[in-house]
Amino acid sequence: MNRGVALELDSLRLAHYGNQISCLICAEGNTPDAEYCRNCFAPMILAHQAQSHASKPVMFAALGPSGVGKTVYLGMLLDMLSRQPKHLQLAARGGFSVTLQHNTIGALSRCEFPTKTPNEPDRWNWVHCQLRSAKQKQPVEMVIPDMAGEALFEEVDHPHSYRVIHSLLSRCDGVMILIDGTKLQAGSLDEDYFTMKLLSHLTELTTDPKRPWSSRPVALIFSKADQCESCFEDPHAYAQRHAPGLSRICTQKFRRHRFFAAGVAGAIANRPVRGNPSHMVPLRVEPRGIIEPFEWLVDNLRG
Amino acid sequence: MRTTSPDSQTGVFSRLPEWFNNWLGASGTSRMKREADASMQAAIAAVVEQEDEAPLAPLRTGREIESVVDEMLAQGRYALLLRPQLIGNLSPEQLARTRAALADGMGLVPEGFVTLRPPFTDESAGEAPPLRLEAYYLDRYPVTNSQYAHFVASGGYEQMQIWDPEIWAALLDFVDTTGHPGPRNWKNGRFPRGEEHHPVAGVCWYEAVAYARWIGKRLPSDAEWVKAGSWPVSIPGHPLLSRRYPWGEAMDRSRANLWGSGPGRTVSVFEFPSGVSVGGVHQLIGNVWEWTADAFNLNSTDAPASSVQTKMKSIRGGAFDTYLDGQATCQFQSADVALTRKHNIGFRCAIHLNDLADWREESADETEDNSFAENPS
Repeated sequence: MNRGVALELDSLRLAHYGNQISCLICAEGNTPDAEYCRNCFAPMILAHQAQSHASKPVMFAALGPSGVGKTVYLGMLLDMLSRQPKHLQLAARGGFSVTLQHNTIGALSRCEFPTKTPNEPDRWNWVHCQLRSAKQKQPVEMVIPDMAGEALFEEVDHPHSYRVIHSLLSRCDGVMILIDGTKLQAGSLDEDYFTMKLLSHLTELTTDPKRPWSSRPVALIFSKADQCESCFEDPHAYAQRHAPGLSRICTQKFRRHRFFAAGVAGAIANRPVRGNPSHMVPLRVEPRGIIEPFEWLVDNLRG
Repeated sequence: MRTTSPDSQTGVFSRLPEWFNNWLGASGTSRMKREADASMQAAIAAVVEQEDEAPLAPLRTGREIESVVDEMLAQGRYALLLRPQLIGNLSPEQLARTRAALADGMGLVPEGFVTLRPPFTDESAGEAPPLRLEAYYLDRYPVTNSQYAHFVASGGYEQMQIWDPEIWAALLDFVDTTGHPGPRNWKNGRFPRGEEHHPVAGVCWYEAVAYARWIGKRLPSDAEWVKAGSWPVSIPGHPLLSRRYPWGEAMDRSRANLWGSGPGRTVSVFEFPSGVSVGGVHQLIGNVWEWTADAFNLNSTDAPASSVQTKMKSIRGGAFDTYLDGQATCQFQSADVALTRKHNIGFRCAIHLNDLADWREESADETEDNSFAENPS
């Protein structure tokens, strides 16, 4: 290669660098070869892949405190939707989008729960996929992150401490809020307070005035419902019985909300292991009520 | 010489005739055998109470016996009739019908070895040493709603002698959606319309045990359940050759009601006939999990030895909502709390071959033949 050609290529590269790419989550400009956004640490591959479509992808988020089962729920949901040949199908865009379901199902098949999601945003699993449904002719592009519960509540308590969460929640099209049904049943009010904090945070986010949070769909999911079967019978009544504060705030501030119950493990047990503290393990995988909340969210998109 | 077991001298069983208790005393020494005997004893005690609070004597001859036998056959209690204590009351025609009911209802699993994979291990972890099992019968199908309805209708929930005393306090809790005794998903003491051949579900481990006693059988052990499905073949000098699924080595979802292959709920026990085992036992995989007699050992191999006991009982076979192929194999063991009454857990029953009178007679004949051969004089 002679010197002239090399200079030409360098110029091209510089020009290319000048044309920055906006992060899909926070809209901050990044160089084309950036792996993560320099502002919010969301993976830039989302922005690259989104460029190939005219419309912006739909964004959903699974929210809830640490240990409520967000990773298990999302991993199971994605795996079920990518396996079932029925009216709602999901196709991953890029290998990274399969990681979440791979890790989740891999752990469950070994009768273990997946490891805790780290707090650092650049270590979260993000899913970019195409959703095909019988109701829509064109597939819908969709982005769903698996966020850490501790980071989420750090952001709720100290807004802007996690820019990626702030940006995502501002721009999100709908949320699935997970609430530990077993803790509610045991009389713990923590879950009620956690969820009320989260919902209050959403209502105060400065967002598009044409699309306030009060009009976006919110699915409230009682997780671990396999251990409190009455959840499945009537989730709304369960909410009124065990989380009255939450039930009231939903009725007052969210026009489109619905309660659901979901369970993945058919049974769990506390397993002792020498040298380590005993830990809960799933004894089998029996997904129940997993797809319904997601389907409801999709049906209520911009509806 | 026959001796009397200590168990047979106490509680409700003391009402039974002496000859019966004597027979029990000589009928085996293993724990499982004693439990099986106790269950049979309780079931016969229940028959006795149902008659007129008197010992077995009221079973005389003629129409009375005929109607009792017919009723017991209609209830599926043929295993009880084939016990040595009752078989003598049957006419040749009744005996033939009872034997036919046994052949229709249960598959014979021959004696032999089986290996069990410990929980929380995969196939690469190797297997435990083989266990030797005597021959036994296992129900060809899971117990259905209509079969269980006989138990409910005959007052099974009020016959205290077939229930473990530790569970008496919880008996009032074993009700359906309308508060009547019965499985959790029934209404007014009846199963849902059109589901007479569906496996009964929503029953806890204790209800399964009580039903098994009432019908003259027992729950299978883990080893028995696995052997019926994996059908191990023992070739000298080789490890046991066991099947992963009753139909072979590879998962075939068209042969079992699992997640994605069925309607997402229980189906009739007569569906998915291609999933039958070598021994003619159906739906070991899929439709409902099945309680076994054994406790579930949560300990990993490297756990401290102190934390052995759990209140969980073993379940096997997967259900209509079992998601992973690896959890719907003959070897996979799951568990649940013994008192739980879940929509996807049912059961089937077993009985030792040598608990049946026919087998005893044949054994006795063989012994006589052998002794004649040894002592031709």
